[in-house]
Amino acid sequence: MSVTSRWGQRVLALCLIGLFLLPVILGLGGTLLPAVGLTPELAPGNGFARILADPRFLPALTFSVFTGIVSTVLILAMTLLTLVCVHGTRWWSWMSALMPPVLAVPHAALAIGLIFLLAPSGELVRLISPALSGWERPPQSWVVPDSVGWSLIIGLVIKETPFLLLAAVSQLSALNVSASLRIGRTLGYAPARCWSRLILPRLYPRIRLTLMIILAFNLTVVDMAILLGPGNPPTLAVLLMSLVNDPGSRAAASAGAVLLGVLVAVCFFGMMAVECVVARVAARRRQSGERGHGMKLFRRLGMGAVVMILIASMSSLLLLLIWSFTRRWRFPDALPSQWTLANWTSRGDMLLQPAMTTLGIAVTVTVLSLLAAIIWLEFERRAIVPRLDGIWFVPLLIPQVSLLFGWQAVALWAGIDGQWWSVVYTHWLYTLPYVILILAVAWRELAPQWGHAAQVLGAGYWRVLWHIRLPLLRRPLCQASAVAVAVSVAQYLPTLLMGAGRHSTLATELVTSFGGVDRRVIAALAVLQSLLPLMAFVLALIYPVWRHARVARETAPSPIRALDR
Amino acid sequence: MHALCVRDLSLQLPNGKWLVQNLSFTVEPGQVLALMGPSGCGKSSLLSWLTGTIDAKLCASGEVWLGPRELTCLPAEKRRLGLMLQQDYLFPHMSVGDNLRFGLRGGSREERDQRVSQTLAEASLAGMENRDPATLSGGQRARVSLIRTLLSDPCALLLDEPFSGLDATLREQIRQFTWSSAKQLPVVLVTHDEADIPPQADILNLGDAS
Repeated sequence: MSVTSRWGQRVLALCLIGLFLLPVILGLGGTLLPAVGLTPELAPGNGFARILADPRFLPALTFSVFTGIVSTVLILAMTLLTLVCVHGTRWWSWMSALMPPVLAVPHAALAIGLIFLLAPSGELVRLISPALSGWERPPQSWVVPDSVGWSLIIGLVIKETPFLLLAAVSQLSALNVSASLRIGRTLGYAPARCWSRLILPRLYPRIRLTLMIILAFNLTVVDMAILLGPGNPPTLAVLLMSLVNDPGSRAAASAGAVLLGVLVAVCFFGMMAVECVVARVAARRRQSGERGHGMKLFRRLGMGAVVMILIASMSSLLLLLIWSFTRRWRFPDALPSQWTLANWTSRGDMLLQPAMTTLGIAVTVTVLSLLAAIIWLEFERRAIVPRLDGIWFVPLLIPQVSLLFGWQAVALWAGIDGQWWSVVYTHWLYTLPYVILILAVAWRELAPQWGHAAQVLGAGYWRVLWHIRLPLLRRPLCQASAVAVAVSVAQYLPTLLMGAGRHSTLATELVTSFGGVDRRVIAALAVLQSLLPLMAFVLALIYPVWRHARVARETAPSPIRALDR
Repeated sequence: MHALCVRDLSLQLPNGKWLVQNLSFTVEPGQVLALMGPSGCGKSSLLSWLTGTIDAKLCASGEVWLGPRELTCLPAEKRRLGLMLQQDYLFPHMSVGDNLRFGLRGGSREERDQRVSQTLAEASLAGMENRDPATLSGGQRARVSLIRTLLSDPCALLLDEPFSGLDATLREQIRQFTWSSAKQLPVVLVTHDEADIPPQADILNLGDAS
C-alpha cells in the first residue's frame, strides 16, 4: 500500500470503531450511573426506588409489553403470510413497487396520516357518514383513540412490515426458493406446506436479527407512541420522556431507561425460548409426512391482509397530501369543499426552517456514513480488519431511550449538548449500521477481477477505487444514500435530546406541534417530512439509470465522429 | 404402474417463438425416454410442464396422462411425478434421515424410521440417518436425493440432467443405481450426454421434434 502503512490503516479502523462505539458505551454508562445514584449532583435520589414507586410505572410497562409484543408478532405473521401467499404471483411485482415508498415515509408522518384516516373525524368515518352511520358530527366513541393500544399496533405493523419483508426478500435468493418449492411439490406437498417446512425454517434464522431490531423498536418507540398511543397509560418510553425533562426525576428516568433495556433483553430471551419450542414442534411435524391441502382460502386471507395494509398506508399518505391543500373540509364531507395553497405559503417560516435543518443534517450524515462505510469495507476487503457485522447492529438493539438519556447526560457534562455536530454525530450512529449493511452485500460480491484488470493496465489503488470499484457499485451506493437520508429524517429522539431544543427538525416539529397546531399545517409538515426521503429514493433510482444512459450515449459510435477520424 | 402419455404438447416463449409444437409420446413402465437437443430447445421446460411447475410466462397447451388419470389440470403436488434435477437439493436444515422421511408418505413413526434405515442400507449408506447432508460426498448426496424421490412413491420419474454434476467415476455408479432403482417406472431423462442413456432407451431429439 503506497499511501499509508498497514498499521496506520489499522489505527484508522480502530478510530472508526471507537467513534462508533463511544456514544454507545458512554451513553449506557451515563444512563446507569444516575440510576444507581452515583451522580447525585446530576440526578439526586434512588432512581430505582422512585420509578418502582411511581403508580404510572406498572401500567406503562404492561402497555409497552402488550403493544410491543403483539405488534412484532403481527409483523412477523404479516411478513410470512405475504411471502407464502404473494411471492411468485403476478401481485408480487406490484407489491415490491409499493414497498419502498411505505418504507421511506418517516414514522411520525405515517402516524399522522393514520390519525387522519382512523380518527373519529377521519376519512374512514367520513366515508360511511351520514349515509351508513347516521353521524352528522364526529362520534364520541369510536375505535380510535383506544385505551388498549390497537392504533399504535396498527401503525407499527404498517410501518415495520415492509422493513421485515424487504429483509426477508433480500435473503430469499440465497435459499433457492423456486427449486425448493418445485422439489417439495413434486414430493407431494402443498405449497403452504413447502413454505412452512422447507423455506421458513431456513429463512427465519436469516431475519432473526432484523426481527429483534423491530422488537426493540416496538417496545421503546417514542414518536409513534406519542401520536398514536392513548396517553393514559403511556408506553414506558413515553413516560420516561416526560420524567427526563423534570430535573428532580432524572434518576427515576435513568432507572426506568435501565429497566426498559432489561425488558428488551428479557423479551429477546423470551423470543429465543419461543423459537426453540416452535423449532422442536416444527421438526417433529416435518417428519409426519402429511402433505397438506390446497391453500385457496389461506391465499385469499393473506392477500386480503396485504391489500388492507397497502390501502391503509397509501390512503394515509394521500390524506396528508389532501389536508395540506385544504382550506375548508367540514364533517362529514368525504373531500374538502375548498382548496388552498396558503397552508404552504403563509406558514413558510414554520416549514422552511425545520426543513432546511433536516436536509442539512440528513445530507451531512449521509456523506459521513458513506465515507465511514467505504473506508471500513475497503479495509475489510483488504483483510486489514476482520468482518464485524454484529457490532453495527448494537445501537439498533439497545432502546434509544436507554442509550440517549445517558449520552445526553454526558453531552451536558461535556458542554457539547445543543451543538449541531453533536446532533449529526448521534444521527450518524443510527444511520451508519444501515449504510454498512446495505453496502456490505454488494461490496463483498463485487468480483476482485475488475480491480485486477485495471491494475494490470497500470492503475494505482485510488484510481481503481475511484474509476472502477465505486462506479461499479453506483447503484448500491445510491440505495444506501437514500436509506441514510430516510433514517436521518425520521430521527426524533436523537434530535430532541441532543439538540436541546436549538435544532428543530421536521420530526421534532411534527411531534411537538401535534395537537396544538392547525392540522392542515401539521399535514404540510408531514408531507414535507415524507417528501425528503421519497425524493432521495427517486433520485437513487433514477441517477444510476441516467448515468448509464449518458455513458452509453457518449460512448456510442457516432457517424460524425467516424467521419472526423 | 401406468404409462406416461403426452398428447399434442406445444410450448411457446413470450416472444412468440415455439419451443415445441404438437409433440406426443408415450413412455411405458420400465421404459426410458431420453430427451436430447441443443440448449434452449425446451427440454427442461417440457419437464417443468409435466410436473406442473412451468414458468407462467410460457404459453403451454396439451395433455398429460398417467394411465387412465389425466394430470394436466392437477397441481404439482397431486401429480405424483418424481423429479430429480442436476443439483440434488437436499434440504440443508434436515439430516439425511429427515430428508428421506420428508419424502415418505404415511406410516407410523416406527415404520417410517425402519423404512429409512432399510433403504439407506440398500443404497450402501447404512448408519447415515443422522448425518448432515453437507458432510456427504457428491455421490452419496446424489443417491440420497434419488432415494428421497423414490420414497415419495412416484408413478413416473423425470430426470433433468441428474448426472451432469458428477465426475466420471461417480457418474457411472449413480447411473447404475438410478436405472436399477427405477426399473418399474416410466422414466423421462433430459441429457446432453449420450453416455447417460441406457441401451434400451428411446431417444427423442427435441430439435427435430419441433
